[in-house]
Amino acid sequence: MTRKVLLLLIIGVLFLPFLPLLIWSFAQGWYFPQLLPEQWTVANWQAIFTASTKVGQGFVQSLAIASLATTLALVVGLPAGRALGLMEFPGKGAIKLFLLLPIIVSPLATLMGIQFVLIRLGLSGTLLGVVLVHLLPTIPYMTLVLSSVYANFDLSYEAQARTLGASPMQVLSQVTLPLIAPGVVVGALFAFLISWNEFLLTFFVGSGRVLTLPMVLFTSLQGGNTGLTAAIAITSILPALVFLLFSSRALSDDAAIGGLGDV
Amino acid sequence: MSELGYLSLQQLTKRFRGVPAVNDLWLEIAAGERLSLLGPSGCGKSTTLQLIAGILRPDQGQITLQGRLLNHVPPERREIALVLQKGLLFPHLSVGENVAFGLKMRGVSRAEREARTLALLDQVQLTGFEDRQPAELSGGQAQRVALARSLVIRPKVLLLDEPLSALDANLRGDMQALIRRLQEETGVTMVIVTHDQGEAVVMSHRIALMFDGCLRQVETPEGLYQRPSDASVAHFFGGVNFFTATADNHRLTLAGGDVLTTDFPQQGTVQVTIRPECIHLLADQICGTNLLPVTVCQNRFTGTQRHLNLQTPAGLELQAWVPPSQNWAIGQTAFAHLPPDALWSFPTPTVPAPQQSVPKALSP
Repeated sequence: MTRKVLLLLIIGVLFLPFLPLLIWSFAQGWYFPQLLPEQWTVANWQAIFTASTKVGQGFVQSLAIASLATTLALVVGLPAGRALGLMEFPGKGAIKLFLLLPIIVSPLATLMGIQFVLIRLGLSGTLLGVVLVHLLPTIPYMTLVLSSVYANFDLSYEAQARTLGASPMQVLSQVTLPLIAPGVVVGALFAFLISWNEFLLTFFVGSGRVLTLPMVLFTSLQGGNTGLTAAIAITSILPALVFLLFSSRALSDDAAIGGLGDV
Repeated sequence: MSELGYLSLQQLTKRFRGVPAVNDLWLEIAAGERLSLLGPSGCGKSTTLQLIAGILRPDQGQITLQGRLLNHVPPERREIALVLQKGLLFPHLSVGENVAFGLKMRGVSRAEREARTLALLDQVQLTGFEDRQPAELSGGQAQRVALARSLVIRPKVLLLDEPLSALDANLRGDMQALIRRLQEETGVTMVIVTHDQGEAVVMSHRIALMFDGCLRQVETPEGLYQRPSDASVAHFFGGVNFFTATADNHRLTLAGGDVLTTDFPQQGTVQVTIRPECIHLLADQICGTNLLPVTVCQNRFTGTQRHLNLQTPAGLELQAWVPPSQNWAIGQTAFAHLPPDALWSFPTPTVPAPQQSVPKALSP
């Protein structure tokens, strides 16, 4: 019972900052001495669904970019994480540091060079260019998460599956991936949210032609329409919440956790 | 049992960082045989098993099954199943799905998969367990599921790596009986790795004894007890009595007197051993030969036997295991009879045996 109360309290504290946002999105003017707005409206929420605010377009583009970036980060991160987590080889420490560099070094320092390359490749201002540049912060997180997942993975499961007649591909799809699924979900969650919220890289590489939700939000903020901005901000949190709910179910699966060794 | 050479290991060698874990191993295993690979931990027996399973690649030598060279056959196409110490059930699959795993990988139809899975769960006495999760099983149950999972694919060879070492002592006996029965029912050729000589004796037709990556003796359990090839084998098989003696053909001169042996005639300094249960203790000097006068120093009752420590006037120490009905007082003098056919002598007077914890020598 006390556990439940505590849980509700934590949730309350965490979600409290969103309350003003919610009020703003329904307010028709909310000025200083007022505790609550005097007039309410749904105009801001209706505006989100009109083409002129470009929220729908931004939502779809953000979704496409984040999904692609997450998938590509997984394709790179799974083998890289396995090598870093399970194998010993010279230069392993240096490679781990090298992986962290994109997180340590400010993107402002590297963006000029990247932009130069992308322009020559004709990828500047394209969706693909933005996806590629989003791999910069997502791959390190993905690889580091997966390397610690693999470090706890008992390779005997793979040997056991092989002797029972599973080919290497079957071992990967039927044994290894199901067993490391919680770690994959965590890594994918990180990558998706990093890409979803990315502003600076999209701003530079997208050159204003790729319009993700953070870009739409920023434009609206500059426009000075607080109510609309609040509504867009809340919209941009939704996928994170959905993803979190979905993944918390995958993470609380005892069978899958068991595959991570004696956790 | 049919002829030897069903599964054949020739000149098998595996090195880890230059150190041989398995060294020039030759072994022929017959179809339908239960063979134990026995030895102290780190002797290379598990490595040998992984080489047979195909998890490791040998540096030298050949593995053949029914005359077919296996060296470059991947593990999933060897038709050799492996059961590991922990059972290692896949935690994301139910018991039934675990057992059916190998069949699913082979593309066996759903109906046949279910039928064969249920039949094998019956055989390992786990009827009705197919919907349980691995986490709900006890250690013994998990190990039985692992056995069923390996047998359901009808392997040509079943490899067991210390399958019972994680189980309680009283459960181990039941599992030994179950494994023997399953092997007899299926006729599968079986190789068991164990460090427990009692388990090896109960489980196998033949025992292959390994020390330091080398095969020392391959024999029936009776043979290993009665005809150890050297002092270290005798030591590993529970030998406790080791003496240095001077041999002149069949006559051995010990510190306590002269005895005769029916072992090979030898000359010079030799190592002599006799199993403690072979020594008879007599109150009077009945017959003349192979009798040593001794004093009883210790008397321990173990339930089925009495373990006596004896000493000759010249300081030779002996252990004898006698029936519990014979009670000897400490300090009592008696005569120890060492039967000629139970005395074994080995030419090299070395340290009795490589102790279990001796680190592997780094050979150049």
